[in-house]
Amino acid sequence: MNIFRYIARRLLLAIFVLLGVSFITFILAHSVGGNPVCAWVGARGCADPTRVAYYTNLFHLNAPIYVQYYYYVVGLLQGNWGVSPSENFSPVISVIAARLPYTLEMAFFAIVESILIGVLFGVLASLYHHRPMDRSIRSIYLAGYSTPAYLMAIILLIVFVYYLHLLPSGEAVSSTLATSPPNTITGFPILDSLLGGKFAYFTSSVESMVLPSLALSLTTFGVVTRVLRSSMLDTLHSNYIRTARAKGLDERSVFFKHGLRNAMIPVVTLSSLIVTWLITGTVFVETIFGIPGLGQYLVNALLLSDYPGILATTLIFAIIVVSANLAADLLYAVVDPQIRLG
Amino acid sequence: MQTVDEVERVESARGISRPRETLRLIRKNKGALVGVSMVLIFLGVALAQAIATAIGVQITPYNPLQLSGLLYSPPTLAHYFGTDQFGRDVFSRVITALPNDAEISFAVIAVALAVGTLVGSFAAFRGGILEEALMRVTDIFFAIPALILAIAIAVALGNGLLNINFALMIIWWPPYARLARGEALKISHQNYIEASKLAGFGATKIIFKHVIPNIIQTMIVYATLDIGTVVLVYSGLSYFGIGVAPPHPELGFMVSSTTGFILTYPWLPLIPGLIIALLVVSYSIFGDGLRDALEAG
Repeated sequence: MNIFRYIARRLLLAIFVLLGVSFITFILAHSVGGNPVCAWVGARGCADPTRVAYYTNLFHLNAPIYVQYYYYVVGLLQGNWGVSPSENFSPVISVIAARLPYTLEMAFFAIVESILIGVLFGVLASLYHHRPMDRSIRSIYLAGYSTPAYLMAIILLIVFVYYLHLLPSGEAVSSTLATSPPNTITGFPILDSLLGGKFAYFTSSVESMVLPSLALSLTTFGVVTRVLRSSMLDTLHSNYIRTARAKGLDERSVFFKHGLRNAMIPVVTLSSLIVTWLITGTVFVETIFGIPGLGQYLVNALLLSDYPGILATTLIFAIIVVSANLAADLLYAVVDPQIRLG
Repeated sequence: MQTVDEVERVESARGISRPRETLRLIRKNKGALVGVSMVLIFLGVALAQAIATAIGVQITPYNPLQLSGLLYSPPTLAHYFGTDQFGRDVFSRVITALPNDAEISFAVIAVALAVGTLVGSFAAFRGGILEEALMRVTDIFFAIPALILAIAIAVALGNGLLNINFALMIIWWPPYARLARGEALKISHQNYIEASKLAGFGATKIIFKHVIPNIIQTMIVYATLDIGTVVLVYSGLSYFGIGVAPPHPELGFMVSSTTGFILTYPWLPLIPGLIIALLVVSYSIFGDGLRDALEAG
């Protein structure tokens, strides 16, 4: 299969999966509170007859169910995601546009950190396998991924904020700076402040990201370490490593150039798993650290029975996971020639 | 020369059962032994508490729902885990919370194991549309993080422990079906399967007599490693108050309802949080040990 057919197939699959996810949210929307209008304007909104009439009309709720699904998907594509009672009935799509950058920024830091920590520990564990170093690393990552993200966040808060007084908590940027946000260029506060030359705002936002992203990465790096360790051990026993050694290459270049590079391939396939874990974690971590992202939105929506918010975040999270999957598949095709040929 | 399968069949005919063999291997494996002991302690306490509640006896040192001493007492000999903002004994509350965690994790895993193994084996054997449908449906489930989907389903179904059970069961089986399909495909060209096909046995009979008995070990190891994940997701749901019926204690809710006391009374959110982590670690060690023991055997 050539690489273009492979990419086309993956894209098609991703679209199919997203349709499936929209079908699930559609079904859930129809099971909420007995009246699907509630799924668009929340329980409070569906008590208001004018709203009910408006949405019944807008989404053709008197039509047969498959027609309704058609209008539901068309509505989603056009940005009609309903209105959010927990955000003063503003359109869900604009709430998401405002909040998504924070979640993506935090996830970006968390992914980088968990890969750095994960690879470091994975390499150490495979270098010293079956020795005390290996065993203690195993206990560390086992403890890491058995710890719920909220507990990790609480522990970090206690250690760094209350004992060491090192880092801020409870806001996305220092409250003295929050009144003068940078001009919107990319939509990402950290990038915008850097591009707009607001360096105090930039450092403050980065500082606020340290603990939340660390809380997330400490619960996820174990996935990387575990897989890297075993794939590293497999790789080091393979024939081309023996060949490299026989050629007289020094152990360092055998280990890093020939070993680690190939052992990283299975880690790439894991990136979607890591993204799934991180997203689950953002729901807790954003609430605890006061980051105004999607996770916090989901929690607010949950507390106020804001179904449009709940279903929209479900859909957005699925889109993030599917995109990450797609990216991992494509990256995999680039790093592993067997995929392109096979 | 005997094949491995033949040896196994001969041994099971001799009455050397697999469970007993597994037990012997677990006893030899230190990690598995630690895991088994920790899991057994948790389950023992949960079971004792469940029975005590059913017959109306109190086995916890204090009534978990009522004031039993000073408010915000730190851990002492009288209150091992201290007392919370309502003066309730945290140790008694943790004990009272355990049965729900145990029930939900085993119920969800049992359903996922049964449904997943059946669906996966049939998909592998029947192939065609059934197999394609299974793969695509599971793709969709994999796209939504378990906790998020569980929240959405639980909200749609309405609050209540039974609905949480149900929500988790709906989302938990797909990875099991994928695994079972893969394992069933691996053995589908073995001689004994081909022989049964030639003998004219139907797919159902082959699946129940040959396929499931041969893949169930892998499935059970996976399930054991997965119990901790259910505990994590369930405690995550209860962290948000989903499926919680106050004043009945839930571990996750005990953490979230006391997060505000991190600065002043840090043990209040820390202790139930650590208990959750300990539960998950126990199941992981147990699962790892079980896998090592079975692989070594």
